Amino acid sequence: MSEAATALALEDVVAGYGPVTILHEVSLVLGPGEVVVVLGANGAGKTTLFRAIAGLLAPRSGHIRLYGEAIEGRTAHAVTRAGIGHVPSGRELFPRLTVADHLDLGGRLCLPARRAELKERMFGLFPVLHERRQQRAGTLSGGEQQMVAIARALMTDPRVLLLDEPSTGLAPKIVISVFEILPLLKAQGVSVLLAEQSLTLGLSAADRAYVLDHGRIVLSGSASELANDRRVVDTYLGR
Amino acid sequence: MLLALQLLCDGVLLGGTYVLIAQSLNLIFGVMGVVNLAHGSFIVLAGLFTVWFAAHAAINPLLAIPIAFVVLFGVGALLQPVLLEPLMGLGAQQAELLSLMLTFGLDYVLIELGLQVFGSSYVSLPYLQSTWSVAGLTISKSLLVGSAFAAALALLLSFWLNHTGFGKTLLAASQSEVGAVSIGINVRLVRLVAFAIGVGLAGAAGVLLILVEPMAAETADDFTILGFVLIALGGLGDYRGVAIASVLLGIAQSAVGFAIGGDAESVLPFVLLILFMALWPQRFRRAA
Repeated sequence: MSEAATALALEDVVAGYGPVTILHEVSLVLGPGEVVVVLGANGAGKTTLFRAIAGLLAPRSGHIRLYGEAIEGRTAHAVTRAGIGHVPSGRELFPRLTVADHLDLGGRLCLPARRAELKERMFGLFPVLHERRQQRAGTLSGGEQQMVAIARALMTDPRVLLLDEPSTGLAPKIVISVFEILPLLKAQGVSVLLAEQSLTLGLSAADRAYVLDHGRIVLSGSASELANDRRVVDTYLGR
Repeated sequence: MLLALQLLCDGVLLGGTYVLIAQSLNLIFGVMGVVNLAHGSFIVLAGLFTVWFAAHAAINPLLAIPIAFVVLFGVGALLQPVLLEPLMGLGAQQAELLSLMLTFGLDYVLIELGLQVFGSSYVSLPYLQSTWSVAGLTISKSLLVGSAFAAALALLLSFWLNHTGFGKTLLAASQSEVGAVSIGINVRLVRLVAFAIGVGLAGAAGVLLILVEPMAAETADDFTILGFVLIALGGLGDYRGVAIASVLLGIAQSAVGFAIGGDAESVLPFVLLILFMALWPQRFRRAA
């Protein structure tokens, strides 16, 4: 994939905490409008990978490029401004603030007209949030909270959205309804990097997939290829 | 009946003077997770300064409010990046413990500073020493003014937090730091502003409290503990709860003071603190 056709590219990213190295030379690419899933068991390094991309953790070496521009080592708020939206694992909402507050905070760096437009779009994507707009986030159901987390990140008007395990703690039916918005984002030119533990869920939602194991990319391919690849299951079972 | 009303009225007004102590501490504790043990010493320094100010400048001591706020805002803005921000990267639990030790030391330095500059004796400010009689109730003018100004400033803080863009980012950062960072909020800046405003408002509270009660440099920790009791009672980060708690404590103190005596009144916050720590230790955790 050429430089211009790549939304997000990681080249040999090494990262960790203190003396512990979690990510070992991770490389991956995400094309414009693509949905790519990073699959991995608990502890494989998915959240660390997303934290490194989002600027919450400075990589020790390697490059992270957003449309060709190197963003590694920037602070998290600079990364957000560069165009990466981050839906952190565990959602991390502001329990005592309303749904509308979350959207306004997400869009606070946009011009007012753009913010209003994005807000309308969010209410179009998630009609239930319009009904609940004056409700405190802490009082919403798990599925609604996940929608708020995604909408808050989309309000930053990102070119790339990092979606870290949105399925955690949600009933399968709810997860499917959350994943239904992915094709709509694609239509708007937003590329999505998704982290997911569940193989079936992840592969059903994505165009391509990478399998992360002990901080290394061990397999990659199109979602349909990997769905039929026994090695994926073997990695999960530690064989 | 009239006695009960009088005690209630005194209590509400006393509680009003507490609101600002508690809310300024709440801001720092809620946003930064910093247990600011030096809070009372900022209050007392501002109070002692006000006495000096009123004695040397023949103008209304209430004019010391903006001066104390601006000076202590500046002090807070200088101290936070140097002393406290370096602790923030260490994880919430360690940051809480280390900030406790650090502000404990800072408290001693500030109290010593107060002793050196203003001396060790109790001082009070003779301002509005008369009373009003309204429907058989006796209302101290200084208590009324102190209470009204403190409550107005606390309301202003609450309005700023809930209805301005920057105020909202501050609330957001106190409710989920990761969430705030994920949408590009500069949490370092937010923490600096929260601490500076908290310390600035402690200064304003000190000016108002000296109108109501005598102070000495060594009474600093009484105010710190009072603030923590109110946060425990009202709920960390819960500004409405803390306002209600302030008024309730004022009423309880006024009733206990009448029924048992002044010593019991002043010891009440400490007894409550011990009770809260024993019965509901989770009240002191940061909001999840």
